[in-house]
Amino acid sequence: MLLDVLQGTEAGGFILIQDTVSCSGRGILKCFINAALKRGEDVHVLGFESPETQVCAGLDSSCVQKLHFHEGFPDPLGWKCTSSFTVDQFTSQHITQLIKDTQYAKASVLVVDSLSLVLRHHDPVVICQRLQELRKGGVIKTVIGLLHSDLHQQGVVGIVGHLASTVISVAPANNERHGVAKTTRRTKSGKVMQEEEYFSVSEDATLSVQAKLRQPGHVQKEQDVSEADPTSNLTFNLRLSEEERKAKEKVALPFVFSQEKKSALLRPTPGTGRIMYEPDANDDFDEEDPDDDLDV
Amino acid sequence: MVFHSQERLQPINKTQRVTPGHLTLSETTQSTPVGAGGGLAVGTLLLVEEDRYDSYSRMLLKYFLAEGVVCGHELFLASARDHPDEIMQELPSPIVDDVAGMKISEGQSQPSDPENPDTMKIAWRYQNQPRVQTALASSVRFGHYYDVSKTMEPELRQAAKCHSFYQLQETPVTTESSPLPSPYHALLKSIQTVIRKEGFDGSTPQSKVRNVLRLGLHSLGSVLWGDDVCCKDNPAHCHALTTFLYALRGLLRTSLSVAIVTVPSHLIQVEEFGNRAVMGRIIRLSDTAIALESFRGSEKEANPLYKDYHGLLHVRQLPRLNCLSCEVPDTKDLAFKLKRKQFTIEHIFTELLSSALLVLTITAGEQQE
Repeated sequence: MLLDVLQGTEAGGFILIQDTVSCSGRGILKCFINAALKRGEDVHVLGFESPETQVCAGLDSSCVQKLHFHEGFPDPLGWKCTSSFTVDQFTSQHITQLIKDTQYAKASVLVVDSLSLVLRHHDPVVICQRLQELRKGGVIKTVIGLLHSDLHQQGVVGIVGHLASTVISVAPANNERHGVAKTTRRTKSGKVMQEEEYFSVSEDATLSVQAKLRQPGHVQKEQDVSEADPTSNLTFNLRLSEEERKAKEKVALPFVFSQEKKSALLRPTPGTGRIMYEPDANDDFDEEDPDDDLDV
Repeated sequence: MVFHSQERLQPINKTQRVTPGHLTLSETTQSTPVGAGGGLAVGTLLLVEEDRYDSYSRMLLKYFLAEGVVCGHELFLASARDHPDEIMQELPSPIVDDVAGMKISEGQSQPSDPENPDTMKIAWRYQNQPRVQTALASSVRFGHYYDVSKTMEPELRQAAKCHSFYQLQETPVTTESSPLPSPYHALLKSIQTVIRKEGFDGSTPQSKVRNVLRLGLHSLGSVLWGDDVCCKDNPAHCHALTTFLYALRGLLRTSLSVAIVTVPSHLIQVEEFGNRAVMGRIIRLSDTAIALESFRGSEKEANPLYKDYHGLLHVRQLPRLNCLSCEVPDTKDLAFKLKRKQFTIEHIFTELLSSALLVLTITAGEQQE
């Protein structure tokens, strides 16, 4: 599923990559940037935590001109006034203006590296509202954010995850593979899909994914027992041969009517059953109720 | 509370009188929670605690609105995340059961074709009955059924009057003396305006057939409503949501309206915060409160007891209307299942499992001796 998300082209999505100190998600972030560049989309990267050289290393050089890096590192808060984009400028108006300033921008992808720095210096409620405005604004096609989940309280991670349409949590794998990614994808209709996969990121920012085998303790698939044929291994014959079947179908049934009578009977009649009672000479029709004299 | 004398009351669109002075709206989930009396009472508030990914609570909201469209009620939909129009476009399509009527009219002229697999040889009297005799096709019933795989026809949807409130498009209004933060204040004002303008509080003359307003408020308490109860230990507006619900219930009681409110309780009740009391207050401030717990993504998914269901339904509170106490159900173990044509809520028997285990341990002990 991770590769589907990588190649996904639906608009208005918010992809959140959650990582921890033991396994970095920046590799996957680079893969997303690379995939978007290859699709011909304009990618705007707000780099607060790493320099441009580190993020752009290994990316496809033919489409690098579509990448717009707004350097916030190493001065994200603007103390020395050396960075082009500070954390305070993370507003929907400012970012929308930044994107509109690029020429011939069709589908723009906004990558935030990382959201943790923004959330630590601003009110999470306000940041979430701004993210929602950016999503629904119409100028940006997809927002991809990196969040260090061990830097925040569980509540903050929860609300940003709740806002996202796809959440990818990375964790270290206990073998030589790079890591384990747990992807949760929520579609518009409310359907939720989850999958855990091993992933590794190569030098040229391509993602290779391997499905993770489910552990036996988890959902046990019922063994498909092939149903035994009940008509076999019997001392008498329960099957029909071809001629026997034809002869059976030719048998005239006792209540077979002609077509006209059938359709006449099928016509909806007013009223259903009516009981017509004609008293006999022997029938003693007494109006009185025989239980009248009961002393109950 | 509004008291009416029964003679002067006119029939109100698609409602049923359960007890004197008490109207009920049809509830689409026909296997209703026990004690709910088979419907939502007019003037009450239903609180739904969302499941983790907001799939089934959103489905309940859509059922509620779809029922309103089919019954001809007016709708009010407020949302902060997705535009109300998007939610309206996802409403499920109602199942119309005129299959029997259709078949009889065309069955007459059709000659019985031996190659036609539909003609029956022996049971030909049942030829014109609908192929699947569903229990849904009853002539007198309260509530409708919906097919989740299809969306409602645009003509049917647009025939219903719908007022919407989309938080993202509202301009923030500075509220000087209001105890509520701006988004909740604006929402409350909007609801109040609609109720007054459309006359749900009785301000229009009695000659017009009175209708009911159905309010659907999606995901109140989430950050997109400007509420920080989900993410902070000491939220700045810790009483925002509770004040809003209190004012909303006042509006509902004095008008012919019903509200369903969904709340992301899993975000509010985070372990490390002391906000668990907030959920208790929110539940007290509503009339009926249920919580949906989906199995998706949790360890309960592997439990064989739950394999036929999609989640658990917890009844947090039952309404106490016009009485001191409510009917307490026998068992509170309810599970739900979303099928294509029905949202079913059933009892699950957890006692059997535990008693079976008890028997097994006793017999094992005897054998050892």
